[in-house]
Amino acid sequence: MRRALRSGRPGLIGSPFKILVLNVVAWAVGVLWITPFIGIFMTSIRPFREVVLHGWWSPVPFTPTLKNYVDALFNPMFSLSRGIINSFIIAVPSTLIPVGIAALTAYGFARFSLPVKRYLFVTILFLMAVPQQMMIIPIFFLLKDLHLLNTYLGLILVHSSWGIPWITFFLKNYFSLLPVELEEAARVDGATDFQVFRKVVLPLALPGLISASVLQFAWVWNDFFFALMLIFDPDKMVVTQMLPRLKGQYQVDWGLLSSGSVIAMLAPLLIYALFNRYYMRGFRGWAMKG
Amino acid sequence: MAKGVRIAGVWKVFPPNVVALKDISVEIRPGEFFVILGPSGSGKTTLLRIIAGLEIPTRGSVAIGDREVVNVEKGVFVEPRDRNVGMVFQNWALYPHMTAYDNIAFPLRLKRMPEEEIKKRVTEVAEALGIAELLDRKPGHMSGGQQQRVAVARALVKQPDVLLLDEPFSNLDARIRVTAREFVKELQKKLGITTILVTHDQADAFAVGDRIMVLRRGETQQIGVPEELYSSPANVFIANFIGDPPTNIYKLPTSHRLVKSLGIPQGVEEGYGELYIGIRPDEAAALKPGDEGHLEGRVVLVEYVGSRRYAKVDVGDGVSLKVLLECDANTGDPVRVRVQKVHVFAPSGERLATLTY
Repeated sequence: MRRALRSGRPGLIGSPFKILVLNVVAWAVGVLWITPFIGIFMTSIRPFREVVLHGWWSPVPFTPTLKNYVDALFNPMFSLSRGIINSFIIAVPSTLIPVGIAALTAYGFARFSLPVKRYLFVTILFLMAVPQQMMIIPIFFLLKDLHLLNTYLGLILVHSSWGIPWITFFLKNYFSLLPVELEEAARVDGATDFQVFRKVVLPLALPGLISASVLQFAWVWNDFFFALMLIFDPDKMVVTQMLPRLKGQYQVDWGLLSSGSVIAMLAPLLIYALFNRYYMRGFRGWAMKG
Repeated sequence: MAKGVRIAGVWKVFPPNVVALKDISVEIRPGEFFVILGPSGSGKTTLLRIIAGLEIPTRGSVAIGDREVVNVEKGVFVEPRDRNVGMVFQNWALYPHMTAYDNIAFPLRLKRMPEEEIKKRVTEVAEALGIAELLDRKPGHMSGGQQQRVAVARALVKQPDVLLLDEPFSNLDARIRVTAREFVKELQKKLGITTILVTHDQADAFAVGDRIMVLRRGETQQIGVPEELYSSPANVFIANFIGDPPTNIYKLPTSHRLVKSLGIPQGVEEGYGELYIGIRPDEAAALKPGDEGHLEGRVVLVEYVGSRRYAKVDVGDGVSLKVLLECDANTGDPVRVRVQKVHVFAPSGERLATLTY
């Protein structure tokens, strides 16, 4: 497959004109994408006065400061650091639980036969398409009845069950790419189905598991809607809920808000950076490593 | 103690209606090196996988030693892990995330054997296979031949009753292949372990096999020792499939000049309008025109194989035979062909007679 890509490449960027067009388009998209981020970053490291009077893009006067960050992290009313801790408390189990469960489900779908397998899988795909807003009212009442409203556990359960379908889909495709002979070899070597899964399939699928985990973590971290609906105690609020509260009651402090946003972005960015190697491999698939 | 394998009436049908195996029955003796030989699509790997338990037959039974491991009619099925067989896969199927040591130790660890016992057994088998210095390498850093030895070691370490080898030589370079064959054959004789090898390559089969079973489209064609397959092929398919260079085979009417000049006795051709005539290149010779022989012809092509020379001789009527060249004729020269042995087959394919001159 990689060879096919390579052979397709000369046609794609063969002529100088095509190279030019490609570059222009790519740079335009890139600039559009990165500009808001640069804006937020510049606003966050300048005194608010400077931004209001000259705009974040103006090169002079430029007085870099960390005051916004300090204020955002240790705001006595709405502490962003508390939000970050809460986000971790929510996001870590909300990643590990669905990836663990979905790995089992996906392996079942990839390798075992059961009567209504096809229909079950189609149902899972269908459920992935249901919007959150449609589900939130039943979820709200379900959690209320379970006395899990406004608790970490409630939100973790909701995120976990929300993650299972797409992770199942993702990992099923990944497991299907693994060479089946390895599993057969393990069975002949004396492994039970579960031992095959644990000792051969899981280690080989590590890039796939990491890709799914990174995406799920980022998704849970960035979620605002579920948290907004299910958590209302300020001490338990996650970072995305804390952010809008930073804007204050009478006037909007954009400096504070921007620095808060940058801080909130850091965790998913770090996770991406840390696991980038596996993450990319997870998407390319094991079969294409050679 | 080595155990035999008894395969009785095994059928395998893949849905919707691909018949991979048709009523296969064979008794493999304890300690025997048994080869299943057949072209691709003959069902040979399916048969091996049924013995391993990776595939369930549609009908029939398989027994290892005295124990039935699968019997469809009686509803018996023993999981692969409980059959005590060792298997080497075509691509060796080494676990890429484990070192050679861990690969070989894997079957023992599954048995929860104590680590020092595992270490002893792994070192023992690794030394026997000459891979002791590779043990801390991962499969990605080994050559094909080394990977194969690790795979054989992994299959042997649990001291299986039966060793199954699925095309173990097909991924090796031609040169290593010869050494690998010798090595596997010697090892098998030393350990006395019942071994079943699947291959599409007759050279592999003849090099290692005590007995060979030839499969074609899921049907047994012939079971026998190598000499038997070569000297008395059961049908046209075997005659065609076995032997290098391939046998000259022509379907000819009984009135054909070639049939007449070979002097096939009345009794053999009786009742048939046509016959298959099979002449092995090594059992016929092109001689000088004046010499005694059966057929006149003209050399079309001369070919060197090792120290031997073969000539393709056009003997007229659209028939040309590849035979040993035993005179110094060149392309275009007339020669006389003397035939030593002819296999005669009925139009349906089975062998009627073998004539020696």
